[in-house]
Amino acid sequence: MSICVVEHDELHALVQRLIQQGPAMGPRERQQQPGFYYFDWLNSADELVLDYVTTTLPPKKAFFPPREPFLEFSRTDPAKVRSMTDEGPFVLLGVHPCDLAAIEQLDIAYSDNIADGRYLANRARTTAIIGVDCWPDEYCLCTSVGTEQARGSADLFLTPIQRGYLVEVRTPRGQELLGDSAQLPATDQDEADTAQFRREKQRRVTAKFATGVEQFADILAAGGLTEVWQEVADRCYSCGSCSLVCPTCFCFDINDDINLDLTTGARIRTWDSCQLPDFALVAGGHNFRGERWERVRHRWHRKFLYLYTQYGRPFCTGCGRCSRACTADINLVEVSNDLIAYAQRETQNV
Amino acid sequence: MKTQAKPRVAFFDFACCEGCQLEVLSLEEQLLEMIELVDIVTWREAMSEKSDEYDIAFCEGSITREADIERIKHIRETADILVSLGACATIGCHNALKNQFSMDEVLHIVYGDRAEWFDTISARPITAVVPVDYQVNGCPASLPEFVTVFKHILMGKEYKPPNQPVCVECKLKDNLCVYEKGMLCLGPVTRCGCDAICTSYGHACFGCRGLVDDPNLNAAQDVLAKYGLSVEEIVGKFRVYNNWPELSLEESHSDG
Repeated sequence: MSICVVEHDELHALVQRLIQQGPAMGPRERQQQPGFYYFDWLNSADELVLDYVTTTLPPKKAFFPPREPFLEFSRTDPAKVRSMTDEGPFVLLGVHPCDLAAIEQLDIAYSDNIADGRYLANRARTTAIIGVDCWPDEYCLCTSVGTEQARGSADLFLTPIQRGYLVEVRTPRGQELLGDSAQLPATDQDEADTAQFRREKQRRVTAKFATGVEQFADILAAGGLTEVWQEVADRCYSCGSCSLVCPTCFCFDINDDINLDLTTGARIRTWDSCQLPDFALVAGGHNFRGERWERVRHRWHRKFLYLYTQYGRPFCTGCGRCSRACTADINLVEVSNDLIAYAQRETQNV
Repeated sequence: MKTQAKPRVAFFDFACCEGCQLEVLSLEEQLLEMIELVDIVTWREAMSEKSDEYDIAFCEGSITREADIERIKHIRETADILVSLGACATIGCHNALKNQFSMDEVLHIVYGDRAEWFDTISARPITAVVPVDYQVNGCPASLPEFVTVFKHILMGKEYKPPNQPVCVECKLKDNLCVYEKGMLCLGPVTRCGCDAICTSYGHACFGCRGLVDDPNLNAAQDVLAKYGLSVEEIVGKFRVYNNWPELSLEESHSDG
């Protein structure tokens, strides 16, 4: 890896060049609602916002669409089945460290055991990722899950500094992206600016877990927290918003949608959520998590216990989208700290 | 299905604005595909011909008179498949607002000194009077769901309305949450299947598709109260569409 400095105008030109070369997705500001951002295809470098706080949906939507027809079929004799053609390559711009970590986690989950060919093919179309460092808001909890300086599979990573951006060139592809852009050597001052940015970012993260992730996993594994789960469930709509906006949630449902000729149709994969009442409903009518509090508990177990045990890291990258999206104000950090406090009280009482 | 080339379809209306039939008419090109599969034999809003013989009956509107009960029972007996079309037929909709008053009172409000000429009973959805085989929710009936139900009928498949709130479809469309815009939205407790059409076009959800099976009205009360609404106002917001059966936020506290 090497570092250099690219000035603002030069980066703008680089982004414009990338957009002209092929599809590029990045964070844009909502025209009707200034101050709110979303990932979408960019028509011009002017649309790209690099100093955004967060987006509604995470960038996984670029290669794991919320609703994706992936197979066409015909109920003729013989039946016909055809995989639906992928579109071409694209680049992903302006991705924050938490989302870079999340993309890495999705890659791990979808490659492990029975690999998901559809996901991996779509992911392979993501031919470049440019990350950018960010300022947290009151919901960001990256420092509690160790992702504040994650790089994942970013080819280039930008840190805003006085002279523009300090650019980490992390892959040969990253070097290729820079191409003819003017790359200034990083001075001591540039590196000091970068270090200062990171210290200040760290300092500004206020939402924090009261324990480390390992200890938190132990607390969840020990159980006995039903009272807390029920309190949260009493406020929870089971609307699924928390997991639908999560950058690491990977559950989906598959349905066949037949056309009006009743012969041809498509098989569609749609994001699903374990918070929805029918998620764990099986044939015969049994629901493994029919109670709201069981679904609430499952979400925490999934993020901070099961996948932590399986992959050695929590499947939460601290983006805070779940807490922002919750209309009932159920806050990931607050609930986690309630669980920690409850467990500590119980231990003292034994 | 009776033995014949194509199933015969009839549309009927009870107390309503007939907007659901109009909505179905607006399918236009898709209607042409549909009549490849069925014969439409009765549809007051779209054609002059009528028939008392049909296999599939789409019924919109609420039951508000004794005579309606007899009529819907007759339709039920005639049709192999009965579909409640839209909010009036499925959840009672605005019609059931009158149930908050005595029937004598509402008759006099509407018909004055001619009240005795008319009869009325508390308004109820078709689903509360006769068993229905399929439901299409929405005010007006959601067209994507209408087409889905139509296909399910012809394929002999059961259709289970989605039991998840509008938030799901709204999130999948990457909409900014209506609450972020400072508006009140019934999306978190309202059954989806509309593809979040209102919230996608800048409105809040009015709850026209009815509540999900297990709505957390306690949470709804908390959230709406956060925005400075009284319980009466909250109940009023729910009541625009959801009056049947009687909605009681107070009784919902045991929900969990």
